[in-house]
Amino acid sequence: MPDLVQFAQSLVNGVGVGLIYGLVGIGFCVIYNASGIVNFAQGVFVMLGGMVCHALLSKLGLPMIVAAVLTVPIVALAGLAIEFLVVRPMWDRGAALFAIILATLATQIAIERLTILTLGDQPRTYPEFTLGGPLKLGSIAISYQLFWILGCGSLMVVLLWLFFTRTTAGRALRACSQNREAAALLGIPVSRMLMLSFALSAGLGAVAGILVTPMQVTAYNIGTPFGVNGFIAAIIGGFGSAAGALAGGVLLGVLQALAIVLLGAGFKNVAALSVLLIVLFLFPSGIFAALQGSKGH
Amino acid sequence: MSASPPPLIEARDLAASYGRVQALKPTSLSVAEGELVTVLGPNGAGKSTMLRAMMRLTSASGRVLFRGRDITGLSTHDRAKEGIILVMEGRGLFSQMTVRENLVLGAYTLTGDETVDGRLDGVFRLFPRLKERYEQVAGSLSGGEQQMLAVGRAIMAKPKLLMLDEPSLGLAPRVASEILETLGELNRQGLGILLVEQKAPQALRLAQRVYVLSLGGIVAELPASEIKSHHDLSRYYLH
Repeated sequence: MPDLVQFAQSLVNGVGVGLIYGLVGIGFCVIYNASGIVNFAQGVFVMLGGMVCHALLSKLGLPMIVAAVLTVPIVALAGLAIEFLVVRPMWDRGAALFAIILATLATQIAIERLTILTLGDQPRTYPEFTLGGPLKLGSIAISYQLFWILGCGSLMVVLLWLFFTRTTAGRALRACSQNREAAALLGIPVSRMLMLSFALSAGLGAVAGILVTPMQVTAYNIGTPFGVNGFIAAIIGGFGSAAGALAGGVLLGVLQALAIVLLGAGFKNVAALSVLLIVLFLFPSGIFAALQGSKGH
Repeated sequence: MSASPPPLIEARDLAASYGRVQALKPTSLSVAEGELVTVLGPNGAGKSTMLRAMMRLTSASGRVLFRGRDITGLSTHDRAKEGIILVMEGRGLFSQMTVRENLVLGAYTLTGDETVDGRLDGVFRLFPRLKERYEQVAGSLSGGEQQMLAVGRAIMAKPKLLMLDEPSLGLAPRVASEILETLGELNRQGLGILLVEQKAPQALRLAQRVYVLSLGGIVAELPASEIKSHHDLSRYYLH
């Protein structure tokens, strides 16, 4: 039976990785809201975030902050490339959404294979942003990187909130998510909004990848688990809601960490998928959407 | 002798189909600068399809000219940028956004010296109720207030042509009358309006010209003042 310290430690770790799932989940929501597309290549942006940042650090010898700041637009460009080369040709031809969603899944696999061919299959990592940790609170050790994840994750949510509520582009993106025809009738270029959503979503994935790599290595195949868990986080939160996805991510991360401590590492994914099934059974539109619905009545 | 100016908007042989069903037979119509034109027709006559085709929301054959310039190749949002604003049937509001956000988005294409605040003042003069509901979520407004918001949002764009698809549908007669009166006021200020209605004696009183659409094609075009002399039309549309 785990002691209290183990319990608390796993909770702390769960919150950290859960915030990462939350960021990936928000990435899913941004694209889904703008287009109705579930981008199954979302996890790839997390992998690329870590890989690109590692390359900038090791190959160019850039300082951490510079490498991190440069990584985001580079991965955002990858997002734009996926939109331009994979999604747009199908979107413009009026392809069914499920076909576009399958194409994003194929893109994820293709990018993973390309990464093996170009960068190899070895895992990579880089030092935590603040050295000298972990912080000791009694018997509980908290990595400084966790504070970076908490800080940057919170900052991302605030920036996204400001973007969606205070800027014309953000409002236009929300308008597209609610009624694309009505948005176009007001002069909003809906297809350009789709591009913007891919760039934004890829940037968010990159931030997640940059932050998580010092705690968990990055490798060509980490995109799939992060993508799946981010997807579950988004569903728990009521697909489409950024705050819901973040809350869903933290809930999922904590439950996974507890499952590992209480039941063993083999139960991590069992816990994630069980949570997904239970949430879908009890709240088909997600916990967050259900809570908002009950507030409204 | 100077040549007459081109119409504000002109549809030439506009036709649209849904699968094998032809919803709109080749149809031509026009609205002059500052004119209010009403299109009447029963349910299923092709009125909404015609408006959708004019905004390229539905693929269609034929041509659309705006102030004499062919805009057939322009996308929906580029037509809106030209100043052609359509208030859809069902209003097309962003129901989870506030009245303020809906109105501000209406000014998305606004350029030049006009400010969003200036346009808002104009909208509030026409619909003071919207000012009272400014921070309220659009989906929580009454039907009449939603229609006011839809028209107000369209005006935010400073349109050159305003097209409306059955703005009085589902509204209490008093509210519908208020909205139509506002449209009349906008028209008196020089705004070109294309108003589609099923049956609307008041819309006819406001209009200078009327098209009657039936079974996907125009069956009559006449000055609004003459509709009384057409026994069948006046019996169906004026009572």
